Amino acid sequence: MNQGTSSGDVRAASLPSERRLLKHSLLTELAGNSVISIAAFFAVVCVVFSLGTDAFLTSANLLNVVRQAAPLLIVSAAMTFVITTGGIDLAVGSVVAITATLSAVFLQWGLPWPLAVLALLGIGAAIGALQGFFVAFERIPAFIVTLAGLSVIRGIALLITGGYSIPIDPESSFNLIGRGQIGPIPAPVVIACLFIVLANVVYGATTFGRYVTGVGANAEAVRRAGVNTRLVLLKVYILSATAAALAGIVIAARLGSGSANSGQGFELDVIAAVVLGGTSLFGGRGSIIGTLLGALTVSVIANGLILAHLSPFLTPIVTGTIILVAIWLNFRLFPAATRTR
Amino acid sequence: MQDTPPFRVRMTGISKQYPPIKVLDDVSLTLKPGEVLGLVGDNGAGKSTLSKVLSGAIIPDSGTIEIDGEIVHFTSPADARAARVEMVYQDLSLCDTVDVAGNLFLGREPRRRILGIPFLDKADMHRQARAMLDRLGIVIADTRLKVENLSGGQRQSIAIGRAASFAPRVLIMDEPTAALAVAEVEAVLELIRTVSAAGVSVILITHRLQDLFLVCDRIQVMYEGRNVAERLVSETTIEEIVNLIVGRKFTARSARRAQDAELAP
Repeated sequence: MNQGTSSGDVRAASLPSERRLLKHSLLTELAGNSVISIAAFFAVVCVVFSLGTDAFLTSANLLNVVRQAAPLLIVSAAMTFVITTGGIDLAVGSVVAITATLSAVFLQWGLPWPLAVLALLGIGAAIGALQGFFVAFERIPAFIVTLAGLSVIRGIALLITGGYSIPIDPESSFNLIGRGQIGPIPAPVVIACLFIVLANVVYGATTFGRYVTGVGANAEAVRRAGVNTRLVLLKVYILSATAAALAGIVIAARLGSGSANSGQGFELDVIAAVVLGGTSLFGGRGSIIGTLLGALTVSVIANGLILAHLSPFLTPIVTGTIILVAIWLNFRLFPAATRTR
Repeated sequence: MQDTPPFRVRMTGISKQYPPIKVLDDVSLTLKPGEVLGLVGDNGAGKSTLSKVLSGAIIPDSGTIEIDGEIVHFTSPADARAARVEMVYQDLSLCDTVDVAGNLFLGREPRRRILGIPFLDKADMHRQARAMLDRLGIVIADTRLKVENLSGGQRQSIAIGRAASFAPRVLIMDEPTAALAVAEVEAVLELIRTVSAAGVSVILITHRLQDLFLVCDRIQVMYEGRNVAERLVSETTIEEIVNLIVGRKFTARSARRAQDAELAP
């Protein structure tokens, strides 16, 4: 565990400032590297598609990419918190499906759209609280709890719709959430940007963000410091499910209908984006900026493959490969990120 | 508080059984304010159990604990903490991916409320952390360093510094110098001296007997769950302590060599 200090002989230790500082700048460079490397990878992907296709580098297409990326950006930012605690939320795709479905149902009931949105966010929070309860208080592994959630929640969505998609009245202002524009910027992009900025501030500058990191690094230390770590975990799952509900609302509003099949495989894109962004699946370290770049990369790849007239079925193959390679690089290139003490 | 009781801690008649074994058998322990007590004994002698009784992690079957003359009943580590008895858990108290200042202030970060949201006051936290480190003489170049990048001795110093910052009456350390480089042992021992000079009573559990003679005022030897001896450091030798620990006349080579080393400089 102390391989870094086994050379800490008397002279070295008596001159700690210089030696340690040197080591620090080198290591911080390495740690910062995961954001730099995803930024570089993102740039490479963009350049490749710009050169390889005519349509990629047009403002219409770029706006289209970010509009389509908005739900992914929102949920990935929230998932960064979950993964930083050392957990995972596999149910986000199913939460997207049930909120998309219920938004159509609620609007058909004649519920005013702002009320429907609030109700849907509330349902997302409640689902998150239920999953968080089992993870934080009953100590069931997050993987199991949210895998069960993935199955049950989509099952409920399918039961409600009977497998059909439910249309939303095209005249409803609800659709503006998905189709409106503020200047040239699509509304989903504005929502996603606000969400990411907020997530970044909470992650880096608040006590909650600090405890999320702390729980992932050493939950026992944080508990002994008098922090209610179970509450921190509970909040993290509420956050991810609520973000997934928001994403479901955006998707339903963009498509103008609620389908129980929306968000299929969405959790994999989200996890790919977060891991690609340098957040450690083992907990304790992560970055919202990295996640932002990771999510954009995943979206650009999906978009670029279609523009390059390659089969859209390549997308899941590429996404899955990215997850594996990203984790493999984490293991090989950044052993510090996976070091356990 | 005119007539301060002479003892910061007085444990009397402490017994604890894990049938069929008597882990602690009528053990006593006293500790004066600012005193450093070395608690030694072979593995299984009960020294860790005794320290856990004092830190509230283990409830004794019988016996009383007095702190500053007041009888206390600890049923959890939180009770002991409330009575300002702190135990240093090295690797259990640090978050590797959080910086030095963040670890020192974990759970009680300086904060500013903006719109009711508690934001970390990082500037204030780093300023206070720097002051805390300087006061304790802990050498760390930058409070923004992540703890995972520190040496074992620096990590241990942070853990002790963190415990000391709660203004404890008693600080218990279990093997704080195990697995440290030589110069780092010196730094940690110096830190123990600094802390005790500030009036904190320290219980030091260690197998490194030479450390005891450098920082302790008194040494208490345990053997199979009982106190067998108490010696003032000024009136004993490392050889005598070794004999007391193993419970018979034993002229171990290691002891003799250690004693020679003790005398040499």
